[in-house]
Amino acid sequence: MNCVELQQSLAEIEDGSSAGQRAHLETCAECSALLAELNLITAAAVDLRAAEEPSPRVWNSIEFELRQVEAELNLIAATAVDLRGAEEPSPRVWNSIEIALRQEGLIRPQRASRSLLPSFSSRWAWARWALPVAAMLLIAIGIYVRQNSLSHQLAAELAKPPASAAVSDAAIAGLNDDDLLQEVAQLTPAVRAQYADNLLHVNQYIQDAKGDVDANPNDEEARRSLLAAYQEKAMLFELAMDHPSQ
Amino acid sequence: MSGRAIELVVAGAIVGSMMAGTLVAQTHKELRFNVGAKSNLSVNNPYGSISVKPAPGNTVVVNALLSSDKVEVDSGQTGNRVDIQSHLLPGATPESGHVDYEILVPTDTSVSLHSATGPMRAEGLHGDMTLEGAAAIVDVRDITNAHVHVKTLDGPVTLTNVIEGHVEVDSLSGTVTLNRVTGPLVQVISTSGGIHYTGDFGDSGEYRLTSHSGDIDATVPDSTSADVSASSVRGEVHDDIPLQPKAHTSYLVREGSAFVGTMGRAAVSSTVVLRSFSGKIHLRKRTSK
Repeated sequence: MNCVELQQSLAEIEDGSSAGQRAHLETCAECSALLAELNLITAAAVDLRAAEEPSPRVWNSIEFELRQVEAELNLIAATAVDLRGAEEPSPRVWNSIEIALRQEGLIRPQRASRSLLPSFSSRWAWARWALPVAAMLLIAIGIYVRQNSLSHQLAAELAKPPASAAVSDAAIAGLNDDDLLQEVAQLTPAVRAQYADNLLHVNQYIQDAKGDVDANPNDEEARRSLLAAYQEKAMLFELAMDHPSQ
Repeated sequence: MSGRAIELVVAGAIVGSMMAGTLVAQTHKELRFNVGAKSNLSVNNPYGSISVKPAPGNTVVVNALLSSDKVEVDSGQTGNRVDIQSHLLPGATPESGHVDYEILVPTDTSVSLHSATGPMRAEGLHGDMTLEGAAAIVDVRDITNAHVHVKTLDGPVTLTNVIEGHVEVDSLSGTVTLNRVTGPLVQVISTSGGIHYTGDFGDSGEYRLTSHSGDIDATVPDSTSADVSASSVRGEVHDDIPLQPKAHTSYLVREGSAFVGTMGRAAVSSTVVLRSFSGKIHLRKRTSK
């Protein structure tokens, strides 16, 4: 007998008492140790069975829970069968739903036999159509009149002569001469006079440069001169703002 | 002692005490800042002079002479930037708020100077510089490889020996004088101030001298190489140097009001534009002495 045959034989003769088992156990230390462990487990299992057995009350509680679950499952099954057979909720269900929706204000009472469009068959149908037609006519007339007035206004604007150069230069790019004079108003009279004098000169510079550009539109140097003139004016404003107050 | 003598003595005593009081009120302040390469210095001094000179080392030394206790010097350093501000206290006047600065900086320092009265002076540097002042006299000299920006209302501006500079001068009515100023761009704009240039316009670069009513005067040696165009809308134009005329111009050249041409070698030359509205333009030849 080898180790495998011994292990298989333990299922029938679990204590190893047969001759073949004894002969193998005497020569095989591993199988002897295995048999000893099995005997130990068997002895411990008997003790456990006696000591760790739950009380009857535990088993009763488990049984009760299981019976409840079984009942619920039976009910669900029965209900499912009923639903499958019916498909359509009963009128009572629908009525209950309608009542609930009306209470929530989601359903309004329907007006009896009233359409958005006036009926052509009634005697006063033409009167009912008169109001919307009149409204559309008024809108069309209003649009026509508005378009005409806009075109006249545009023509009038185009015919208007351009604004005077002096006005535009006085407030070009936000550089208002009055702002400059106000900025230096608190300086000494001599300094104020210097700024005022330079303002006159730089405005003349801009005027002359503009005239040169108008006379020679293709002259790049003329345009540069105009840019330089504006640059001078901007610098004048900058110096006025940076001048310490006195 | 006669009454008259007594009066004189009393007046002298009053004046003397006033002067003494002034001298006593003056205070000197020295500030030092350690900076790295290419540092920045900004000085805002409403009343008084600012002078910036080079010094070896990496220290900015500020010497300030305050005229009274109505002004104080606020200073600060943020990294490589030094800020100096003359803080006028209540009651300060242009006299009592006067501060004179003498500042030593490394040569590569960029400076920004502001003073309404000036004068302002910078020399021996090769960092960028900006000088702004309404009535300040501006004097910049011995500058190389730098951007130089000057703005004045009527303060005269003088640039001397500015080599390889990017120069922009704006003066509304101050006289602008350029002596040996060359570089890739030299631009002067004036409304009513005169512009005087003495030099050779370098060997390449763009030179624009523009004025509205001020006169423009350029004195150059025979060796100058430049494409020159000059025009004055209502003023006179004079040319003492023979120019090779140009075949095409962008505007009508009227004799007496404009001239266009090349002087020297056209292959190596600068572009020079002299433009005025009512001022005179004169291109002169420098006589060697």
